[in-house]
Amino acid sequence: MPPSGPVVPGTLDLLILRSLSLGELHGLGIARRIEQITRGAFEVKAGSLFPALYRMEHAGWLTSSWGESASRRRARYYQLTARGRRQLEAETIEWRRVVTALGHALKEPL
Amino acid sequence: MTDELRAYVDLLTEEKIARGLAPDQARREALLETGGVEQVKEAIRDVSPRRFFDRLRQDVGYGLRLFRRSPGLNLAVVLALALGIGATSATFSVVDGVLLRPLDYANAGELVVVMHRRTNPVAPANFLDWQRHATSFASMGAAEYWTPTLGSATEPEKLFALRVSGEMLPMLGVAPAMGRFPLAGDAGASEAVIAASLWQRVFGADPGALGRTIVLDGRPYAIVGIMPPRFTFAPFWATRAELWAPLVLGPRATSRGGNSLRVFARLAPGVSLDHARASMTALTTELESRFPGTNRNVNVTPLKDVVVCDARQSIVVLFAAVGLVLLVACANVAHLLLSRAASREKEVAVRAALGAGRLRMIRQFLTESLLLSAAGGTAGVLLADWMISIFKQIGAASIPRVQSIQLDARVVAFAMLLSILTTLAFGLVPALRLSRPNLTSALRDAERGSSTGRRGRRLGRLLIASEIALAVMLLVGASLLIRSFTALRAVDPGFAPDHLATFVVSVTGSAEGAPGRRLGFYQDLLDRVRAVPAVQAASAINHVPLAGDIWGFPFRVEGRPEPAPGEVPTAAYRVVLPRYFETMRVSLIAGRDFTEADRSGAAEVVIVSQYLADTYFPGESALGKRIRVHGGAGWQTIVGIARHVVRSDWQDRPEEEVYLPLLQVAQYRDDASPAAGYLSYVVRTSGEPSAVIPALRRTVRDLSASAPVSDVFVMTDVVHEATMGARFVLTLLGVFAAIAWLLAAVGIYGVMSHSVATRRHEIGIRMTLGASRARIVGHVLGEGMTVTAIGVIAGAAGALLAGGAMSSMLFGVTPRDVPAFAWAVTALVAAAAVACYLPARRASAVDPQTELR
Repeated sequence: MPPSGPVVPGTLDLLILRSLSLGELHGLGIARRIEQITRGAFEVKAGSLFPALYRMEHAGWLTSSWGESASRRRARYYQLTARGRRQLEAETIEWRRVVTALGHALKEPL
Repeated sequence: MTDELRAYVDLLTEEKIARGLAPDQARREALLETGGVEQVKEAIRDVSPRRFFDRLRQDVGYGLRLFRRSPGLNLAVVLALALGIGATSATFSVVDGVLLRPLDYANAGELVVVMHRRTNPVAPANFLDWQRHATSFASMGAAEYWTPTLGSATEPEKLFALRVSGEMLPMLGVAPAMGRFPLAGDAGASEAVIAASLWQRVFGADPGALGRTIVLDGRPYAIVGIMPPRFTFAPFWATRAELWAPLVLGPRATSRGGNSLRVFARLAPGVSLDHARASMTALTTELESRFPGTNRNVNVTPLKDVVVCDARQSIVVLFAAVGLVLLVACANVAHLLLSRAASREKEVAVRAALGAGRLRMIRQFLTESLLLSAAGGTAGVLLADWMISIFKQIGAASIPRVQSIQLDARVVAFAMLLSILTTLAFGLVPALRLSRPNLTSALRDAERGSSTGRRGRRLGRLLIASEIALAVMLLVGASLLIRSFTALRAVDPGFAPDHLATFVVSVTGSAEGAPGRRLGFYQDLLDRVRAVPAVQAASAINHVPLAGDIWGFPFRVEGRPEPAPGEVPTAAYRVVLPRYFETMRVSLIAGRDFTEADRSGAAEVVIVSQYLADTYFPGESALGKRIRVHGGAGWQTIVGIARHVVRSDWQDRPEEEVYLPLLQVAQYRDDASPAAGYLSYVVRTSGEPSAVIPALRRTVRDLSASAPVSDVFVMTDVVHEATMGARFVLTLLGVFAAIAWLLAAVGIYGVMSHSVATRRHEIGIRMTLGASRARIVGHVLGEGMTVTAIGVIAGAAGALLAGGAMSSMLFGVTPRDVPAFAWAVTALVAAAAVACYLPARRASAVDPQTELR
């Protein structure tokens, strides 16, 4: 497993949207889910996670509400809105395009 | 947000405990991993769409809290800004209103004055020649001063009016508010246009006044036009004129003497001033060769220059002074902000350590600076408004167009901009210092109070030295003016102005004005005035010195060769009733006063001024010599020599002056000319002169109901007014100098206090190492006084260089007057010494034990 590091710039939003696509999660839950779905490649710190959540909520992609964690602790849960889902699709398509393009670019002999 | 973060940390802790960590350690690691709570919050705020206003509110709130915490320093900044902005805006508004704004005529820039030596009047025939032959002007007109008696036999009023040639009023491009201008030629000879003020006073603003007939000097005039409110003409002389009637030259049209016309013209389209000057010079040179001595020194001067020329220099000096005040204020604000910044270095370091970003901090400081400039600017504008109203009051008599002064938005904007730039520039310094990479050392330094680096202190001292230099320059200027004013007050007017009242009686147009009657009236009135209780002595003269006009007439000295045309000497022409010299207390150096015996039929006599006697009869006694002056039938024998008496300007140098006995002057005896139609009475009283004035008015009315009284003055007021211009400039410059002096003192106090405050540690060490308290005081004083000395030397040098600009405002002192410099330097050094001593004493009170622990 490669050592974990910060998220590639520009991908945090996509990762958050993706991590919420299965259901609502609290902040730490999102961070853990991102680690899990990227096989531990990316580590998300509170300093970048919460500003992103705040920004995305203002953009109307997420909603949040207070709830209870599995351990019966108070936590704020985030879930995708309809607009958030559309944003996820759009960003996924866009990211695939970038990945394909880069894949070709790096395969071609120079 | 804080809640959510706390929840996050709790969850993380729980997770770590589950992984087998001890609760304490789990918590510590969780916190570490989350990063500073404040940083996270800061980062979230950074992405908030409402962040601009949120932060603005936050910054403003913080700024206001700081303001409350150190009100002294912030108040000093606001005060310095207010003084700087207020004084600049007020003075700039005055300059703008008086010097820069065009006159209230259409295309006023095209209007010029064509006269001898800029403002000396012109003879009728010359005016007509110019009007006929000059090519550079679209129009040329003339005006003549006229003081007719308005009225009915019961309530006569003396008016100020102008007789104007037909071109004059239309040339100005201001139409009457109602009616029209007088018709050209004979048809309009008995028509008049009146000012809105006269219309209101006499006719109660009744529109029916148009077409009514009024009687001026016994002749009927039809009112055909009413000028708009605030219309004035002429702008530089006869400014009180309220009525304009046609100028009818009649037989005078061929006269090349009797210069009484002021000639105005409008440049033809596309003709430059230089071109007009050149063509006028060509014309007058040609005319001069045909009529020698009549067309000399004819100047074409822009009307505006004539209007403002007297005030220009005072205003320029005031403007320079206020500029200096503004610079002093800005320097003061700058170093106050710098020292504030220095004392906040620790705070800045702490906030940076807690996660405040550099930009965020810069914003914070900017907001604080803007708060300060806003407060200072508002106070400054209020101050300026107040200063302008004061300016208008005290300048009403001595500054032309003073009523057109108003606080100008552009002016306020200019001053505000300057203050904002100053506060921003120097408010930013602490924020920029944040770029210092090592926070730890900054924190440590701040703790010990030694962080104000050498560079910061040097900048502060430089600012103070320049502030002191500027203040010295202002103080030198002010003390020069004070000394010059003292010299002015010490001028002997030649007569005793205390307990003296004066008034003018006119007989033109009344029954008493008829030929052969006026002399008797004048004498009867004098007898009655002398009988009024509390009147010690009384006499009369054609024009009272200072308060009245001056007429010059040529004279010749018996036995001297006929002078060349244009070189005939002239003398101020005074006509007096007996005991004039006694009443005015003008001392006669030699000879005798006029008596009742010096009347027509007796030998013609004259009294001359000392200057005339000394100039024309050097080394011999003028008594018994004969001269010939206008108004006499033959040669007049000099029977007395009078001391010099001030004329119209307080500072005038002595000139030729002649006094003729009124009883001998034909004009007053049997002439109907308006020139002899009025007389100024001078009355010396035993008590307060103003108390006698009602009785004097009654006396005139009892003798003649149709002879109006005007120009009633108490002589001390007239003297006061004559020195008013100087007093006005002096007062303002004095105030500016005082402000600068105070700011400089506050400035040096601030810098020294701050220097002491930040060096307590160092002082403590010095004391531990054996420095005595006296030594410490000496050290601090020495540091402050070095800065002062540098500033004083620079300021004195600056004042020496700039002093020349003031030379023509000075009277009796030179711009390099040593006492004035000594005064200025002493005042400043004394203030600086006190300002340095207080912090020095505080420094000596440092307790090394507490300081070094």
